[in-house]
Amino acid sequence: MHQLSARELRQRFLKGETTAENIVKYFLERIDRLDKDIGAFLAVFHQSALAKARHLDEKKAQGAPLGKLAGVPVAFKDNIHVRGEISSCGSKFLTNYRAPFNSTVTDLIEAEDAIVIGKTNCDEFAMGSSTENSALQVTHNPWNLNVVPGGSSGGSAAAVAARLCPIAFGSDTGGSIRQPAALCGIVGFKPTYGRVSRYGLVAFGSSLDQIGPLTTNVEDAALVMEIIGRQCEKDSTSLSAPPESYLETFTNGIAGMRIGVPWDFLKGLRPEVLANFQASIDMLKEQGAEIVDVDLSIMKHAIPVYYIIATAEASTNLARFDGIRYGVRSARAKTLDEVYDYSKEEGYGPEVKRRILLGTYVLSAGYQDAYYKKAQKVRTLMIRRFKEIFHDCHLVATPVSPIEAFGIGAIKDPLEMYLADIFTIPVNLCGLPAVSVPSGFSPAGLPLGLQLIGPQKHDKNVLHAAYTFDQAAKFSSKMPPLAKQG
Amino acid sequence: MSDYPEWETVIGLEIHAELNTKSKLFSTAPNRFGDEPNTNITEVCTGQPGALPVLNKEAVRKAVQLGCAINGQVAKFSKFDRKSYFYPDSPRNFQITQYDQPIVIGGTVIAEVDGVEKSFAVNRVHLEDDAGMLKHFSNFAGVDYNRAGVPLVEIVSEPCIHSPKEAVAYAMAIRAILMYIDASDCNMEEGSLRMDANISVRKKGETGLRNKIEIKNMNSFSNMELALHAEIARQVRAYENNPSAPIHTVIAQATYRWDPDKKETVMMRRKEHADDYRYFPEPDLVPIILTDQYIEEMRQSLPELPLQRERRYVRELNLSPDSSFHLVSDKPTVEYFEKALNVCGNARSLCNWILVEFAGRFRESSANLVTSGILPEHLAHLVNMIDDGTITGKIAKQVADDMVSHPGKDSRKIVSENPDYQPVGDRASLEAFVLEVISENPQSLADYKAGKDRAFGFLVGQVMKKTKGKANPAIVNELLTEKIKNF
Repeated sequence: MHQLSARELRQRFLKGETTAENIVKYFLERIDRLDKDIGAFLAVFHQSALAKARHLDEKKAQGAPLGKLAGVPVAFKDNIHVRGEISSCGSKFLTNYRAPFNSTVTDLIEAEDAIVIGKTNCDEFAMGSSTENSALQVTHNPWNLNVVPGGSSGGSAAAVAARLCPIAFGSDTGGSIRQPAALCGIVGFKPTYGRVSRYGLVAFGSSLDQIGPLTTNVEDAALVMEIIGRQCEKDSTSLSAPPESYLETFTNGIAGMRIGVPWDFLKGLRPEVLANFQASIDMLKEQGAEIVDVDLSIMKHAIPVYYIIATAEASTNLARFDGIRYGVRSARAKTLDEVYDYSKEEGYGPEVKRRILLGTYVLSAGYQDAYYKKAQKVRTLMIRRFKEIFHDCHLVATPVSPIEAFGIGAIKDPLEMYLADIFTIPVNLCGLPAVSVPSGFSPAGLPLGLQLIGPQKHDKNVLHAAYTFDQAAKFSSKMPPLAKQG
Repeated sequence: MSDYPEWETVIGLEIHAELNTKSKLFSTAPNRFGDEPNTNITEVCTGQPGALPVLNKEAVRKAVQLGCAINGQVAKFSKFDRKSYFYPDSPRNFQITQYDQPIVIGGTVIAEVDGVEKSFAVNRVHLEDDAGMLKHFSNFAGVDYNRAGVPLVEIVSEPCIHSPKEAVAYAMAIRAILMYIDASDCNMEEGSLRMDANISVRKKGETGLRNKIEIKNMNSFSNMELALHAEIARQVRAYENNPSAPIHTVIAQATYRWDPDKKETVMMRRKEHADDYRYFPEPDLVPIILTDQYIEEMRQSLPELPLQRERRYVRELNLSPDSSFHLVSDKPTVEYFEKALNVCGNARSLCNWILVEFAGRFRESSANLVTSGILPEHLAHLVNMIDDGTITGKIAKQVADDMVSHPGKDSRKIVSENPDYQPVGDRASLEAFVLEVISENPQSLADYKAGKDRAFGFLVGQVMKKTKGKANPAIVNELLTEKIKNF
């Protein structure tokens, strides 16, 4: 059953070949057995998931219409609210915080009869690229338990890669869906900024964050986007574009599609990553795409710009975690200032502190012009550059990550870790839709990913091209040996 | 500033007014005062993670109407910014406000000061959300977030106000406008209108500004006037006592509050450095973009504004500009006046009874004429009874006292039920009093006949005294003139 796509699973349930209860029991058993070694889940909802499954079975018995995700177990990254459940965000500070409301995405997929099966690990407040910044537990890559799953949505990626659930949700501020999807050999999609409501997502960088799906195949990602890609009145930055139908044009192919590649920008890439990318490009050509060279040299500024804007926003977004209204208040604190100081000191990990300090600094009087305002100007130039490029081509292709999954604890220098997001960060700065689709393996047998980037609101084309690529490449059907166990 | 002829005061006011919208600025929680703590809240008001602000269009509309009412430039593009500071009443530890692109730029407010119309320049009006309120208990403090997120307009004047009286007149005019356009209840006791003043003094003729201090939250016009007077005195005294000190060292930039018991301004904290609020654009909100058509619609929808009404009353009702300004400045009072005017045509007298007589009677009370239960018709009847000679002005004041102690009782009934208030109007009984007075005061009679007109007034007074003020003065005059001839 774990080899099935979400759509196939739903079909089995609808045809009566299995029950929702059986599906849920099956996946709960896998989680109980396999996740001990992986560490993808922070919480597993045995009771509520089974209750929901039984409810669906009754609903089906009564002949009531069933939703597009009927009987499909899904997991949420622990920074997305599921009402009544802990949203720790991978932080000690929020280990006692129960979400008082559902995220809009949670509401939308529950309305389609999905079954929320648990919450997954992540870098603390989504700050990181390896999930090692989680204050709560280590998550291992199902392809090799000694390496990281990527991050920050590493728990969601590992859960889907190990087939512990067919769909998991992540959030992507600088690559946090796409990079772990690539490192775990699955599909991850970051929608156009505003396509999916951020309501109920604990904010990191508000102008960059998007929720998106991690799935074993492109069609499931498209199915999820049909459900969650809609305007939300509770999110002012939500796009007013009507919901789209993604799946119907999927089989049209990509013949004649122009795909830009910033060859110059890819100089210096590790040979094995470059070789894999070249092979992906050849495959796109075989499918009829026209490959054109594009100049994205401005992207060399993406990392400094990102670490100014994202941390500036984060420094204010995280200011609310002060121990006054919720979260873990320091037991040592006796005065108001001590509540602030000690709760933050004890509640936050080093990477979060580093980013709050950085964000506070770049917004300070006397520095704001040199950092925050200049970064916004460069961001505007990047947006403009992508617009120009998209006059010449339909999509842009890059690797997802310049490196394969690395050993747990191997990267100690935060800057080295930041540089691993060089291909994914520009997409968030420009609000573009982009997918990570499996593109094969490194010589060490670890998964690599191809990134396809589209113009704003062209989410459908991005997934469409990814589908065509994956149909030809078939890497998404590869499963880690650990997950093959029945 | 007649107290200090060599000195000039420079004041700028920041007025915060809570908009009387149905819901809060960025959430659907009710915008209501006085409920149980933490009942009018949503996840947005308490800064829950994952909650997002959504702008209330009604608040935008009211801010735009205010902009139109003060002839400001309503910005077609404005935006919100985050203002960072840590305090428990701030649920996100940043306030959402408008920093460099406010919704209204500039504007003019005209107010009557000592019978002269003065024009005051407004620098800007911006929208922002209010904070919660701290409540202190014996050994801990609690926070009530009912007020957190209530929409505020902050109206910032230019430093163009030169006396406490002008400051009060300007603030009264702002309050009147807000109430006329139904943007705010402007209830100072409930904190829906709050004033902060920036104040400095300088030698007359100086062009630069000296160090200023800020006085926070003066919760009534009279407190503001007292606070500003006290602060001017303090600053002038400081400069005069330290004539050789460098000017910028005499008054330290600081925040003060008014202590109404000590009748002095009290320093809360020094402002040695400018606070760094790390403003930057609020990424969770999109800019406010308004069309010319929308702004024009708002302009057209404005009701008669206080200034227009003030001028109309002067023109049509013959009120003095000063009385008219004070009358129109309080919307409930002017509505009361209008109701009374339907029953009594003597606008000047009605205005005087409202602004002087009854205002005086309620000075020490928490109520006022409008809230007292005294109906506008009953006031109108009182004025009518004076005008038609049913009672004298003197009796009328006693009737007014009774109206205050028996609110809701018609003044006509008060007069008819009390024998002491019955006018001595019949000529026969008055004639007896007149003859008595003439015979008792031969000297005055002689004086009058010798051409001293004042003696006549004295004789009238004596008659009024004998009748305990109930005599109709017109008849007394007539009788006296007639009888004196026969002596």
